[in-house]
Amino acid sequence: MSLTTSRTDWRAGIERRLTRTREFVDDADPEALAVVIASMGSLLTAFVGFLLASPWTAVPLGAFLIATGYGWVRHQALVARAVTFAMTTVTLVTLGLIVVFIFAESIPAFRYEAASVFGVSVPGLGMFAQTRWDAVSDPVRYSLLPMIHGTVMVTAIATLVAGPLGVAAALFIAEIAPPRVRELVKPGIEILAGIPSIVYGFIGFTVINPWASDAFALNGGSTYLFVGMVVGLMALPTVVSVAEDALTSVPDVMKNGSLALGATDWQSMTSITLPAAFSGVSAAVLLGVGRAIGETMAATVMLAGIPRISDPLVNVFYGYETLTSLIARGYGSANGVHESALFAAGVVLFVTVLCLSLGSQYIEARMRRRLGGAE
Amino acid sequence: MSQTENADAEDATDATAVTANRTDGRRASTTAGETVEETRPEWTSYEASGETKVAVEDLDVHYGDDHALKGVSMDIPEESVTALIGPSGCGKSTYLRCLNRMNDRIRAASVDGTVELDGEDVYQDGVDLVELRKRVGMVFQSPNPFPKSIRENVSYGPRKHGDIETGLLARLTGRAEPEREARLVERSLERAALWEEVNDRLDDNALGLSGGQQQRLCIARCLAVDPEVILMDEPASALDPIATAKIEDLIEDLAQDYTVVVVTHSMQQAARVSDQTAVFLTGGELVEYDDTEKIFENPESQRVEDYVSGKFG
Amino acid sequence: MSRATQTALVRDDRTTYEAAAGAAVGLSGVAFVVGLAALVGAVEIGDPVAGVELSVALGAVLLALGLAVVGFGVASRLGFVDAAPQPSAGVVAAVAFTAIWFAAGVTAAGAAGIGTVGRLGVGTVLGGGAFAVTALPREDVGSTVPAGAVAVLCGLALVTGVVGPGWERALAGYNATLFGDTVVPAVVLFASLATGWSAAKAYGGFGARGRNVGAYVLIYLVVGSILAVLVGLVAFVTAKGLPGLLNGVGVGGETLVRWPFLTNGAGLLADVAGVFPALVGTVWLVIGAVLFAVPTGVGAAVFLSEYAEQGRFTGAVEVATNGLWSTPSIVFGLFGAAFLIPRFGNQKSLIAGMLTLGFMLLPLVLITSREAILAVPDEYRDASAALGVSKWQTIRSVVLPAAIPGVTTGVILGVGRIAGETAPILLTMGGGVLPAKSAAPNVLSGFRLSASPPFVSNPALLEATSALPYQLYALITAGLSGNIRNPQEYAWGLALTLLLVVLAFYAVGIATRYYFRRKLHQ
Repeated sequence: MSLTTSRTDWRAGIERRLTRTREFVDDADPEALAVVIASMGSLLTAFVGFLLASPWTAVPLGAFLIATGYGWVRHQALVARAVTFAMTTVTLVTLGLIVVFIFAESIPAFRYEAASVFGVSVPGLGMFAQTRWDAVSDPVRYSLLPMIHGTVMVTAIATLVAGPLGVAAALFIAEIAPPRVRELVKPGIEILAGIPSIVYGFIGFTVINPWASDAFALNGGSTYLFVGMVVGLMALPTVVSVAEDALTSVPDVMKNGSLALGATDWQSMTSITLPAAFSGVSAAVLLGVGRAIGETMAATVMLAGIPRISDPLVNVFYGYETLTSLIARGYGSANGVHESALFAAGVVLFVTVLCLSLGSQYIEARMRRRLGGAE
Repeated sequence: MSQTENADAEDATDATAVTANRTDGRRASTTAGETVEETRPEWTSYEASGETKVAVEDLDVHYGDDHALKGVSMDIPEESVTALIGPSGCGKSTYLRCLNRMNDRIRAASVDGTVELDGEDVYQDGVDLVELRKRVGMVFQSPNPFPKSIRENVSYGPRKHGDIETGLLARLTGRAEPEREARLVERSLERAALWEEVNDRLDDNALGLSGGQQQRLCIARCLAVDPEVILMDEPASALDPIATAKIEDLIEDLAQDYTVVVVTHSMQQAARVSDQTAVFLTGGELVEYDDTEKIFENPESQRVEDYVSGKFG
Repeated sequence: MSRATQTALVRDDRTTYEAAAGAAVGLSGVAFVVGLAALVGAVEIGDPVAGVELSVALGAVLLALGLAVVGFGVASRLGFVDAAPQPSAGVVAAVAFTAIWFAAGVTAAGAAGIGTVGRLGVGTVLGGGAFAVTALPREDVGSTVPAGAVAVLCGLALVTGVVGPGWERALAGYNATLFGDTVVPAVVLFASLATGWSAAKAYGGFGARGRNVGAYVLIYLVVGSILAVLVGLVAFVTAKGLPGLLNGVGVGGETLVRWPFLTNGAGLLADVAGVFPALVGTVWLVIGAVLFAVPTGVGAAVFLSEYAEQGRFTGAVEVATNGLWSTPSIVFGLFGAAFLIPRFGNQKSLIAGMLTLGFMLLPLVLITSREAILAVPDEYRDASAALGVSKWQTIRSVVLPAAIPGVTTGVILGVGRIAGETAPILLTMGGGVLPAKSAAPNVLSGFRLSASPPFVSNPALLEATSALPYQLYALITAGLSGNIRNPQEYAWGLALTLLLVVLAFYAVGIATRYYFRRKLHQ
């Protein structure tokens, strides 16, 4: 399921589509075809123009609008099909553009932090081979290790919060709650997902940090412990909703079979429902981990913003910096290689979370296949 | 009313005259649209030979506003096969699910009346559902083995009830009894006539078995708990004729040790396997309950006669 | 297959035992709540309760609970009550109690000043003992004695004042100090959880039913806590934010309703500093993102589910969509900064923010629309096709109308989500910390035509603009100070406004779902 194969898939899909369109040509109205070609061609031109940052982009864009508008009136079915196809490619194009642009921007930093292994210069190795991040004073170094350490700390604590609580809440909603209670709890947890991260951050900054500083006699109130707990709370709704979907997809007849043997509800949940939905539930936790890794604002306003590794490593009472907060705090004032290093942090984030997403999708697909075979 | 009574009287006097019965039946069913035949208590007050295992008295079930079962009273005798037949939606499955309280799973359901297992009311306060369902096992319409190995499927019930210990802790403390588990699995599978077919692949996933094998595995799973009553909800409806025949043989065989209650919509199946048959008709009424032979050859009720001879339902 | 003994359906009378166990569960719950209140500072552990300090009283409660729990186990073991314990408490409980007692041993030995090796030794001994006590005896002993002993130990520590108000211990090397004010509530929370679970098992008569009750108690507690946090958060922000939000609200005068916080800009001259520019910024941001993402997402969903055959192309799009859905918002911000800003005048701008959020909204819209379209029964399509209606006509007049409820709900919830996003607009849209009213974007009257490319321009779209979440962030980084009368009150009012805007979207989205679902079921 790598990116390259999806690329070839995409190409193969288009080819198939093209052959089908060719068969279509004989039946279709030549004028309609001309309109569609004009419309799609001008859209493509506009896209290229936009990529090149040309001021003339407006011209093909206008042509696209005119051609599509005309076609919509005269040959709606064909134009609709073409336009919806173009819209479908937008997701692929967006993902592609994200990859290209953040990778391209991060190249200078990777070059700068090249380190040699056995005489071979490996770009970017320096980011992971030493621990110094200092963009100002000599020697200027852009190690991402301190921020990776912070992200790992925050994510680990957040997962300890969101994982067990999320799975318990999902079990409650899917299996235990009477219908009335479920109708209350489910939207409640959805609303939890809606509270903006900056509001969590604001509460963390004005309430939790001063309290922690006071309660544990800390130097400043930034701690990975409480950032992790807040981030865990924010990742919780993701875990709950995905895990609940997985649990409810286990066929009722299986649970009934267990209950009819005299097993209790709890035994049926732990021995039948949870194992059957295991992949879905672990996908939910993976997605929750992804959310926690990518969470930005709470970490940015609650952490101290010093790129340093805490000592001892597992000291949760320090709160320095995560990958996300590094970008949010530094972008704008940074330039040159420093800015590029922020993009490199973004690349690390993006790749990690994309891998988690792909992993959870793979697990879920496997579960669907297995349960599908069970029915 | 008088017409239907006449028809019944004729049935009673001229039981063997099938052709005559048919014509009467037709007459009765045309009139049934205007005057519905009354059910009479004596049609259902059948006294089976042998001890009563399950006694049901005035059972009413509502699903919300829907009156699914109306004042059903019937006693189920021990170590025999009782068939429940009737058209779909007649309440026979509802009745079955009352016997092990699986209806508790449906929140809108309300149950009135008494169901007694060996003289103990299963709907009284404080009943331990675990205990009840250990004694009253159930096999479902479509085979529903757990997505586990064949062995684990069979030993699931005893494990959950703490009768067999497996797992790391039991092995560490020397309490695991693999031989006992193996004996139990073998005995249950043998009893369900499945041992010969699966004894070389007990650790394979049960979902890889054929439909008929899966259903017999579900029966073995149920037997492993050593129940007294086995409820079967159309156990062969999802199976092909050969697998169905195997299940039917098994049901007859099980009746030597267990009290079996089978819901079926197949008249042939009821006639073949059961000792006594209860006929439910639309509206959740028990219309007639008697020896299977009597129900199929000479029922009291005109509607039952119409139903078993395939005229309606 | 001979039957052993026939068991009764109803157990012997255990009313007293059950009542006692139930009371213990209730008391544990009370101790838990008091511990929580002490942790957040609602009560002080030094407060006098019935003549003693709260911490001592709580210790006595824990002591009593611990003894009671041990008593439940022993009573069951000696056969005074009719319970159904299994041969062992199980591997999960054994591991949990081993860990707990190992930690307790290490802590206690550390407090007694024993070195690292000694600590580990004490921990190992206690942990091993806990494992043996949990795993080896019957379940009724195994799941009560270790839990009760934990509570007794904690209770003793509190009652004797070993840990209490004024207690403190510096964590060497951790730059932190533990105080009685936090440790006592934490100990109470932990011990009451243990006794609550154990008493709940006793209440259920151990065995399968006991485990069921024990697990349910814990799960109800978890869900209750989550809901309490949710309600607490919203209530807290509301309480703190209302004064700022309602400052100067009145009826009558020049306009029908005066609500200066929402209609003013910031500045020393204004009577009441308001958030008008940021509010307008957020509104335009949402409009822009919706205009981009909703047609695109719905169109793509139509194509994927109606035209495209299931294959590699749809698979790739699906993977890409899910990938985009989970991409961190800050990465979208970086992308917007690298891709959009150079193409829109090389500065942070409203339109860059709109499109960045549009990219974020796109996967949400696509996923929910696709689900909604796939949920339309195939019979509708078949029925329409059987009447000779063309595919596109079917989609337009049958499929889309049937899918509208799902699409609407998905769009509203998605908008709620992006309306509160800060990270992407921090990098792409910027704006002032305390913008004056004149800084509010005026998009509608901003369009200009010109003779040179790009022929149409709108300065309002190309300027850095503030939005509610960004302004809150900017205020925080400015240290909650600025050229206004009461920055604290202003910031909380701003937070409440943002919360209300987002929650309004969620409320409307959830209400829409219920409305359509009810209509469907009628």
